[in-house]
Amino acid sequence: MTDSLGQQKPVNIKAQLQACRSKEETFKALVTLSKTLPRLSVEEKTEDNKVKGCESAVWLIMEENDGLRHFKADSDAKLMRGVLVALLSLVEGKTLADIQQMDLKAELAELNLSSYLTSSRTNGVLAILNKINTI
Amino acid sequence: MAFDPSSLRHLFPILAQSAYDHPLTYLDNAATTQKPLPVLDAIQDYYRSFNANVHRGAHFLSDRATNRFEQARDTIASFINAPEQSHVIWTKGATEAINTVAFGLEHLLEKGDEILITSLEHHANLVPWQQLAFRTGARLRILPLTSNGKWEPEFSHYFTDRTRIFAATQISNAIGVSTPLQTMLDHAKQQGAFTLVDGAQAVAHYPIDVQILDCDFYVFSGHKMYGPTGIGVLYGKSHALEVLLPYQTGGEMVRHVSYQATEFNVLPYRLEAGTPHIEGVIGLAAACDFLNAQDRLSLLAWEQSLATHVYSRLHKEGGIEIYSPEKNTTLVSLSVPNIHILDLNAYLDSQGVAVRAGSHCAHPLMAQLGVAGTLRASFACYNTMEEANRFCDVLLEAIDLLNDE
Repeated sequence: MTDSLGQQKPVNIKAQLQACRSKEETFKALVTLSKTLPRLSVEEKTEDNKVKGCESAVWLIMEENDGLRHFKADSDAKLMRGVLVALLSLVEGKTLADIQQMDLKAELAELNLSSYLTSSRTNGVLAILNKINTI
Repeated sequence: MAFDPSSLRHLFPILAQSAYDHPLTYLDNAATTQKPLPVLDAIQDYYRSFNANVHRGAHFLSDRATNRFEQARDTIASFINAPEQSHVIWTKGATEAINTVAFGLEHLLEKGDEILITSLEHHANLVPWQQLAFRTGARLRILPLTSNGKWEPEFSHYFTDRTRIFAATQISNAIGVSTPLQTMLDHAKQQGAFTLVDGAQAVAHYPIDVQILDCDFYVFSGHKMYGPTGIGVLYGKSHALEVLLPYQTGGEMVRHVSYQATEFNVLPYRLEAGTPHIEGVIGLAAACDFLNAQDRLSLLAWEQSLATHVYSRLHKEGGIEIYSPEKNTTLVSLSVPNIHILDLNAYLDSQGVAVRAGSHCAHPLMAQLGVAGTLRASFACYNTMEEANRFCDVLLEAIDLLNDE
């Protein structure tokens, strides 16, 4: 189920989220997904790694190897950790050029996560997308 | 006989809908209330039959609009028992009303003067005073709630001969605690301070009498008392309104203008620059009429009984921190250790239950409580006991789902 980074394979995540028929099912799927996200250490949760604009605290770290980008992230809110699992599965191991060509908003919408894409300050997914694109 | 919310719930058509296939349970009334049909009808009637600018044209529609606009001022004046209608200034909400006072009093403040507020204030009744203090060299002082949610038995020493302004909320929007206003206002008046009461959270629930309160200024927003958004009220005593320098100038608020000078209009117009929010004023008057037609004290008793019921059910559960009082409040504010309020909120939302999760525009108070935010269920007259129970049931489900153990 998990690869070397401890993250689920994108295909499973996609299938799990797309099978959700209601907001409640999406909620439960995100809770399940959240448990697969490796937590960041206290040292990694720096102010620099924090994504501004989220009401829940979100940290995002990127490491680049041979042009391929690898992400780690964490949040103090469980559903946000579930969203991060889905989001990182889309961009993990890609080049910056590849990531910038993706329509991440549309891809998240396909995963039934549209309600997390409003500009409301309650969820800073847009801020995370922005950071992923500019980090 | 106890109040029955079904006697007026049908007047709120918005409530009769589903949210994600669940009955909509609207418990975010401290953020904004829903609007009854008489308010919706009054707004539509204004546009359908007497829309015109007020105080200007001398024609059939303009006369009708002006008459209704000024009748509305009478309605609001008697709603809060203001002695004269010229004491009622239209603003876009409580926030603008407070800013009007904060800018209007600036010319009277000197370095070293003190502005006193409480630790319960919404940012709207904090930031304007903080910024005023920055501009004038005055000192912002805070009269704190103690850590157990009580007021110190003796707080008169916060009021000094340098206290020039005392501004306090009547009821905390974040945790539903009331302030011992009358005592505080007495202390402030003994020091000759200007007094402002933020009634934003009170007007929907409590009959207000500004003459009994005897404060210099009383402010509130229409949208939290079944009226439209974008309209609010600054009530002031004559002498208090007279000393305010207008913080907005322009049309409507003038008597005569030349390139060299401007003679300002009399109250209330002097503080109402520009074309006012006419539809808002008409709608707000309809909201007052709606409330006046109710037995207000039985509505209040009902709303408090819902909050007390939720308090007693959740208090028993353990593992839930409740920050609002057990009694005499219309909201329940809580958190659950180790579970994020946004996660609780997301599950409640998925079940059609609308509450507020956040800091409630009161960062310093949240810091004092040691939380990033709380989950708040706030009640209005149309809420039912089934809804109060549904909130408890769904919250407990959410806790089960989100608990790691």
